[in-house]
Amino acid sequence: MLDIAIRNGRIVDGSGLPAFIGDVGIKDGRIVRVGRITEEATHTIDAAGKVVAPGFIDPHTHFDAQLLWDGAAKPAIEHGVTTIVPGNCSLSLAPLKAEHRMKLVGMFNQIEEMPLKAFKEGVEWNWETFDEFVTRIKKDLSVNVAPLVGHSVLRLWVMGEESMKRCATADEVQAMQKLLAECIEAGAVGLSTSYVDMDETLQPVPSRYADESELDALCEVLSTHDRVLQIVHEFYDADLTVARIDQLAALSLKHGITTTLSPLFVNADDNGAVDKVMKRVKEQMAAGARVWPQVQTRPIDISFCFEVPSLLFIRLPSWYAIMRFGSHEDIVAAFSDPERRPALIAEAETEQMNPLWSRLVLRQVQTDANQGLVGKSLADIAQARGTGLVETMIDLSLEEDLQAHFLSADMGHNDNAKVGALLRDPNVHIGASDGGAHILSFSTYGDTGYLFSKFVRDEQALGLEAAVKKITSDTAAIWGLHDRGLLRAGFAADVTVFDADTIGRGPEYYVQDVPGDGSRYVRDATGVDTVIIGGAVAWSEAAGYTDARRGQILPT
Amino acid sequence: MSQPLPAARSFTRPQPNDDWASIAARELPDVPAEDAVGMLQSWNFHVFMRPASASGNTILPSDIIFLEAPAAEG
Repeated sequence: MLDIAIRNGRIVDGSGLPAFIGDVGIKDGRIVRVGRITEEATHTIDAAGKVVAPGFIDPHTHFDAQLLWDGAAKPAIEHGVTTIVPGNCSLSLAPLKAEHRMKLVGMFNQIEEMPLKAFKEGVEWNWETFDEFVTRIKKDLSVNVAPLVGHSVLRLWVMGEESMKRCATADEVQAMQKLLAECIEAGAVGLSTSYVDMDETLQPVPSRYADESELDALCEVLSTHDRVLQIVHEFYDADLTVARIDQLAALSLKHGITTTLSPLFVNADDNGAVDKVMKRVKEQMAAGARVWPQVQTRPIDISFCFEVPSLLFIRLPSWYAIMRFGSHEDIVAAFSDPERRPALIAEAETEQMNPLWSRLVLRQVQTDANQGLVGKSLADIAQARGTGLVETMIDLSLEEDLQAHFLSADMGHNDNAKVGALLRDPNVHIGASDGGAHILSFSTYGDTGYLFSKFVRDEQALGLEAAVKKITSDTAAIWGLHDRGLLRAGFAADVTVFDADTIGRGPEYYVQDVPGDGSRYVRDATGVDTVIIGGAVAWSEAAGYTDARRGQILPT
Repeated sequence: MSQPLPAARSFTRPQPNDDWASIAARELPDVPAEDAVGMLQSWNFHVFMRPASASGNTILPSDIIFLEAPAAEG
């Protein structure tokens, strides 16, 4: 007797081979047969007219904190995602000494725009080591987690405050090697580092103080355990990106490791930058290195209100300073002050920034008086009021007690032809969703659905089987998740059943479900029918989330 | 084992306590010191133009420091 039989589905098995009609049998958490199945099952899923595929794998997330209060990483699973990789960009929640907790929270708040209150009210800090953290999250896990360990966190553990001031000594490097090995033995899939991020005081994060020899030594450890190196590079500059690719290629060849860099964007003023980067990736891959650039599927949409700091304002020092370091009252005072207000407006109304203001749309308010303006552009509202763009943005924010939310849509990565070509490139790794981060700036959920709706159906940039392969077996192979990503007998039973004609992402909306009365932007899935993780239904369109807790720490 | 390809645009990585002068002396020994520093700074605006870190140095140990000008467009 099988546990689950999925019958009459269109099997897209993750290999990239053509789909076929068949059944999938599951028992004891494993796929036991793919083909025609006559055996009875405790639970049968009729997949007629639907695609049966391996569960999707999201390789770039920051669900680290959310996993402490939500082992399903909602809403990732309902988008067909069965495995997530948190701990990117040099930041993980372990290993972490008690005295460094608030420092790390500050970095998460600054870099990943995670609310401080969510950490204060949603997290019971009862771990220090990586093993203790993994033990903690395993208790309530629906989704599979392949956690990275952050380089900044390793440095903080070994060097304390000095990690943000200098290179490590030989002894400290050795201590980091030992610590990294312990993390890997406890379940880490690899190491993440950052070359761009700044902490909550706008100082470089600890990983940026690591010299070449330190990273080389840590890669030795990755090599011993066959683990992955992830970096966030200077993605805004093609030459620096190419240099990082060269650096990663040298590490990959020397240590025999897989490396990945994220994100790679197609900017509006691309001028051949992506082509230059991809040319180098292909050269390095052809030379035998493993250097995987991660490309996200969705265009860049950013929302903001002045209640929380937004990286959108980081080039406006006075604005960013009050958003970053000021209280609600400080911001209201600055916007109302007859001297500071015009100075702020003057700083913002520049040739570089004016296109942003004219692109903004008012997406959400709290007063009845302004409800009629929701959905209108800031330019139209300003014209109707006879005020300037920035002045209008300030006025609306004051009228809404800083709860006026503005949307800047399609800011970049929206050249569908170029993005589609990248997504089908065999040297590109689809990822970089940032799931679980930037929760008040944009929804990081639904990138997998968008891959199918935009780039398989609308743009026809890649076929169904190729798209599934990209986010299942390719991802599993890159990350060394050896029993994932394919519908094959003996593989883990992580399965997503979906309608190829309707899978997509719903509209972005605002929901209050973060600890500490916090909010975030999310998207629902469309066209996903059933998601099976570890041989049990974790979510279905009909019944929603189940009580199944079959998520594992990967690789096993 | 495969050999790494030569860098697309030549660069170096800082050594502990490096500053512009020490990198210039090491990497551009045949160029007069002041000129070498000026060249390095002009090729590395991403480092030269940013605020100094808490250590007082704009150069971080993890930085890419280019040793030649960018290739001409086209």
